[in-house]
Amino acid sequence: MSARSFRSVGWVAGVAATALGCYMVNLKVASERAALEDVETRIVLAERDIRLLQTEIGTRGRLAQLEKWNVKVLALSAPAANQFMDGSFQLATLVAPQKVLDPTAPVVLASAPALAHQPVLASDGAVASPSAQSSPAGMLHTASLKRELPAAAMPRRVAPAPKPVPEKSKLAQAAAERPTPARRKVAPKVDPLAPKPEAKATAPAKTGAAASKPKAVALTKPKAKVETKTAAAKPKREAESEAAAKPKREAATKTAATSKPKSKEAPAKQ
Amino acid sequence: MNAPTPALVGRPDRLRLVGQRRQLLAVMHQRLMFGMLVYAGIIAVIVLRLLWLAAFGDHAGRKTTVTTAAPDRGDIVDRNGQPLARTIDAWTIAVHPTKILGNKLDLARKLAALMPERDEAGWLQLLRSNKNFIFLRRRAAPSLVEAVNALGEPGMALSREPDRLYPQTDLAAHVLGFTDIDGHGAAGMERAFDQRLTDSATRGEPLVLSISAPVQQALEHELLEAKTTFSAIGAAGIVMDIHTGEILAMTSLPQLNPNIAGNMDPEARFNRATLGVWELGSTFKPFTVAMAMDAGKVKSMGQIYNCPRQLHAFGRTINDTHPFGRACTVAEIMQESSNIGTAQIAAQTGAEAQKRFLKGMGFLDPIAIELKEKGRTLTPGSDWSELATMTVGYGHGIAVTPLHLATGYATLFNGGIYRPATLLKVGPGHQVPRGRRVFSDATSYKMRALLRLVVTEGTGGKADAPGYRVGGKTGTAEKLIGGRYSKNVVVTSFAGVFPMDEPRYAMVVMLDEPKGTADTYGFRTAGWNAAPTFGRVVSRIAPMLGVRPDLKREPNMAEVLPYIRKED
Repeated sequence: MSARSFRSVGWVAGVAATALGCYMVNLKVASERAALEDVETRIVLAERDIRLLQTEIGTRGRLAQLEKWNVKVLALSAPAANQFMDGSFQLATLVAPQKVLDPTAPVVLASAPALAHQPVLASDGAVASPSAQSSPAGMLHTASLKRELPAAAMPRRVAPAPKPVPEKSKLAQAAAERPTPARRKVAPKVDPLAPKPEAKATAPAKTGAAASKPKAVALTKPKAKVETKTAAAKPKREAESEAAAKPKREAATKTAATSKPKSKEAPAKQ
Repeated sequence: MNAPTPALVGRPDRLRLVGQRRQLLAVMHQRLMFGMLVYAGIIAVIVLRLLWLAAFGDHAGRKTTVTTAAPDRGDIVDRNGQPLARTIDAWTIAVHPTKILGNKLDLARKLAALMPERDEAGWLQLLRSNKNFIFLRRRAAPSLVEAVNALGEPGMALSREPDRLYPQTDLAAHVLGFTDIDGHGAAGMERAFDQRLTDSATRGEPLVLSISAPVQQALEHELLEAKTTFSAIGAAGIVMDIHTGEILAMTSLPQLNPNIAGNMDPEARFNRATLGVWELGSTFKPFTVAMAMDAGKVKSMGQIYNCPRQLHAFGRTINDTHPFGRACTVAEIMQESSNIGTAQIAAQTGAEAQKRFLKGMGFLDPIAIELKEKGRTLTPGSDWSELATMTVGYGHGIAVTPLHLATGYATLFNGGIYRPATLLKVGPGHQVPRGRRVFSDATSYKMRALLRLVVTEGTGGKADAPGYRVGGKTGTAEKLIGGRYSKNVVVTSFAGVFPMDEPRYAMVVMLDEPKGTADTYGFRTAGWNAAPTFGRVVSRIAPMLGVRPDLKREPNMAEVLPYIRKED
């Protein structure tokens, strides 16, 4: 009875609720759309601002202005034909070390100085600058230029021997003798690929602990045989000036870079 | 239904009365129903409309002002997209004299301090005028606008309006042109493409020119320096891609600042590159030789001509700056820029062939370019006698624009095909036109060595930019003043192509009335002013254009070198 009489009221309520729901959805959509439009408007405004700023930057940095600065301050000019490179290889050749063929430079002894340098590097930063400068160069050249594997491996084994004998004459002898036996012995044992990293890695470990100058002298002597001889014979100053006169060579060739600074130090200590 | 049944019996008048009443009622019902339906319909329409609006309509907060970023007038950009012309919103200061509330004398005093173009009396007079609205300043600086706003006078109107700005100021001003006060193009590309730049359908996309801003800047700077050094009254320069006809740089001096074009000297607004026509002298000689070669009159660079110290022809005397006084080869004629030799070659070719070739290169018509500033070439016209043929052969008696010359050189060195010059970047929307053949491929090839010779051994030595294989020809033409050729007033030019072994770019440099300097030993010929300018520009722009300098490359000089006698 009552259910039937309220049926129409139920219908009305249902329809009203549905209509209201639809309207709510509608309202929601409309507000979302408004927000979207708001964002779009902001984008357009931002684009306008960007355009305005770009125009301002472009106007302030106009080519005529840059040219004026160039003429008055920088004075840059167009590159000449010979300033153009064929490629990265030609560019690299500009900074490549000049290889000077020096018959007296003992190619063999390339890696020994790397050993000798390490103490200076590892122990004390305040040590004379030449050694500090030379050590990275020495390492670099050991890694790149030296292709002879035995030479790299050699110092570890051979170097300790001359330690107690710092005299020049003996060193010279030792140097003369050493290379041949050392190479013969070591070469077969060492892994052909290993020596380069080894030489670098082991050196600091060894030298870091006992970084005394005498040792360094002893180590370097054999390598820098030819140069040290002359350097030691001359007064220290001369040796220094000679060293200074050949900066290019030092940087360029492996042997020179590694041995020179040592030869300077050696006579001073003695 | 309600009609009286025949069975009902009553008095006839009464019956009639009832019938009338019922009829009346029925009509009333009908009308009421109709009225209700009308109202219901109207309400339904309103409701439906409301529903429709609620579902799909705009909302109240809709902004209609900013809907798109498209400028009021399209941008113009260079080939790399660098803006050369833009429209910005600029501040405008105006005044409504009738709406001023404050003391006009005070206001006039303050305005005179802010905008000194008028004194106090002037401002007062302006403020007291009966006009409704007066523009005081367009494109006002923001600081000035701020100061005017701070006056707090409601009669002052500050508003924004679109304004054309050329961010690069002088750069390529004659190519761009400028707009008038209403924002319509008044010159240059602004004028030529006014429709395209203002149409709402196309203005969103910038107009891409073939101009390259760095190249243009280099050309303008070097030319300006040359103009100053040699005290020339004007100059023009064009750099062109010979294969596509694209103009990479085109300038005319004195400079024009399109931002204030209205205040500029008319001389500055004059485009010397496309509107001015000049007798360009010896730069025409390569065309004469090429014509003779194409016509089969000159078979080799070693062909011999008699080159006396003076040539008398048809009552005229033709002179040379470096007279040979002996027999000379075509290569030597070009090397020393001999008028006498070239005149003979031209005479051999004949007027008809000469006209045909000049027509082919577009020298007899207004220059083909998008700009509307086009000069009319001056030619012998109907009086194309044999003497005219000879003088045209070495560039006298015919006046063309520098752009004609550049197009001619492009035609000569791109394999012999004429293509009209264009200022629009060649790309998907703008293809290279097919062109028409003027010279044969072989002629085009042989000319390379000949023009390279002019630079390596001849009059154009100073145009050389080491490594870039410049080839070209100097031209010094006496100016026609009052109907007579003046000895002292000249137009010098250098037209050339680089790199000569594989030509890619043609360039023309022209100086109007250069003077001699101490550095040039008083000479004012092209070899001393136009040629070095050319060389300097090439050494600056060639790397930008991707030309690799190479000191070991040269065109095939064996074509010409055997025919040169070294003078000791």
